[in-house]
Amino acid sequence: MTNAIEINNLSVSAGSKKLVSDVTLNVEAGSWLTIIGPNGAGKTSLIEAVAGIRKFGSGSVKISGQDMAQRNERARARLLAFVPQNPLVPAGMSVRDYVTLGRTSYHGMLRAPSARDRAVVDSVLERLSLQHFAKQNISVLSGGERQRTVIARALAQSTMVVVLDEPITGLDLRHQMELLELLKKEVAECGLTVLATLHDLTLAGQFADRLVLLDKSEVVLDGPAHEIIRDPELASRYGMQFRVVDVDGSDVVVPVRS
Amino acid sequence: MTLSPPTTRRVVVVSVFTLALLVIAVVCGLVVGPTSVSNSRIFGSLFAHIGIGHSTLDQMQTTVIWQLRAPRLVLGLLAGAMLAVAGGSYQGVFRNPLADPYLLGVAAGAGIGATFAIMDVGHGLNTPTWTPLLAFIGALVAVGATWAIGGRGSRSNEGTLILAGVAIAALLTSAQTFLQQQASANSIARVYIWLLGSLASANWSSVNLILPYVIVCIAVCILCGRALDVMSVGENEAKSLGLPVRRIRFIVILASSLGTAAIVSVVGLIGFVGIIVPHIVRLLVGISNRRILPISAALGAAFLVIADTIARTAIAPSELPIGVITAAVGAPVFVLILSFRKSS
Repeated sequence: MTNAIEINNLSVSAGSKKLVSDVTLNVEAGSWLTIIGPNGAGKTSLIEAVAGIRKFGSGSVKISGQDMAQRNERARARLLAFVPQNPLVPAGMSVRDYVTLGRTSYHGMLRAPSARDRAVVDSVLERLSLQHFAKQNISVLSGGERQRTVIARALAQSTMVVVLDEPITGLDLRHQMELLELLKKEVAECGLTVLATLHDLTLAGQFADRLVLLDKSEVVLDGPAHEIIRDPELASRYGMQFRVVDVDGSDVVVPVRS
Repeated sequence: MTLSPPTTRRVVVVSVFTLALLVIAVVCGLVVGPTSVSNSRIFGSLFAHIGIGHSTLDQMQTTVIWQLRAPRLVLGLLAGAMLAVAGGSYQGVFRNPLADPYLLGVAAGAGIGATFAIMDVGHGLNTPTWTPLLAFIGALVAVGATWAIGGRGSRSNEGTLILAGVAIAALLTSAQTFLQQQASANSIARVYIWLLGSLASANWSSVNLILPYVIVCIAVCILCGRALDVMSVGENEAKSLGLPVRRIRFIVILASSLGTAAIVSVVGLIGFVGIIVPHIVRLLVGISNRRILPISAALGAAFLVIADTIARTAIAPSELPIGVITAAVGAPVFVLILSFRKSS
């Protein structure tokens, strides 16, 4: 299998503080890798550096074999789509217009979206059951609908790689599951490669093919999801105790009160 | 505001209404004035200019229409369109509803330049040529300084630029106050009048001087409307969507500032147009800059010409400062639209 994402010796600093130090990770095309780790581990910094919106000190990021540092914004936006932790949603914009923003790198700044751009947007809206909301103001949507719209914008970029930072924050359990299932479907059906950060270890374990534990800006564990979830190092890095329970073949992480 | 995105029909209605208002403004600009000239003669002369029929205006009337009212009308159109577009562009690029064309120090810079000329600091400066020139240079130096402090480097963002603009404006305003304090009562009065802004000094040579810059600057801002729409999701997300954010920000600020500086150097500081017109348009047609900017250009032009027509006729033969009219007419209209849109 080829690697869709190749991160080599990546380091990110803010002033004298190391946020990400010397991280090397490869993500196979068509697979899902989730980065877990306590707050302040450097997950967001790593994800933002990969997405090209945070400068990194050293190392390299290659997406689909292309060195991101050598590409301009437009070329990068065709290789990788990014969903930030707190997307800025412009009040008053329609859902369709918002999703169409994902096509910016195709039609450019001066030209209107082409027929193909509109067709892609239509198909994404339908795939994510958003077609009924198309004309609605994005700021009146519920949290779940809104986050689905943000995902739709990312999918409209028609990239092979999608990078998401805490995509299910603030959603209720049902909407968390729906959103992750929807992404899983894209991975299975379209060969999408997903790199995400998640706080919920149960969901992280259930949806990712591979988990990477990041702590104190370094990769501590890296392996198949079911192994990492049961690794004793995981609990010690979080500084707490939890048990992993098998429920109908799925690992469930249960915190234990001390 | 949580309003539903506007329908195409509303955008069309607003556009048609704005264009009609623009036509009315142009007619007012030519027809209304203390020297009464019959409307048919004015239009006869207008058609004669484009090669249809003959002008029946006498010498004095021709001068009034073509050397006084016409250049003033064109200057009003340019100033209104430019200030409204610059204000709308700044609001887009800074994602800040309080942004106006003078945000980055254009006003303070032009103010000190004009003060230098009017107070004759360098001796022999106080001519009609030097005031606009020094105002123009002052405006550009101020925006240049703001950009140098807040717009360059990897850490710069909308916030650093706005703060740098505040600092530069404060510095220049204090320098100007110091200069004025040294001045005679007569020059203080003239500086004050300049600061209030007026189209009274309009003539074809000043119009021709700024026309190309202003047209190009307006066109550049309007062409950036789509990019500004992408920037409404913030700089980082816009970048991840494929927008060269820094370049767009530079181009929009350059075009807005250059155009505003050109306008300010000729007409002084006309307030309110740059902030109120884009907001009125936004309330009517929604948040897309692709629509806001061209409609603002037309509405700003119409608004300023109508305000100027009132300014020069209300207490004729004296003139009211146009800034008084823009605020006195603009504020109630704005409040009306705001409350209407809230209730609907």
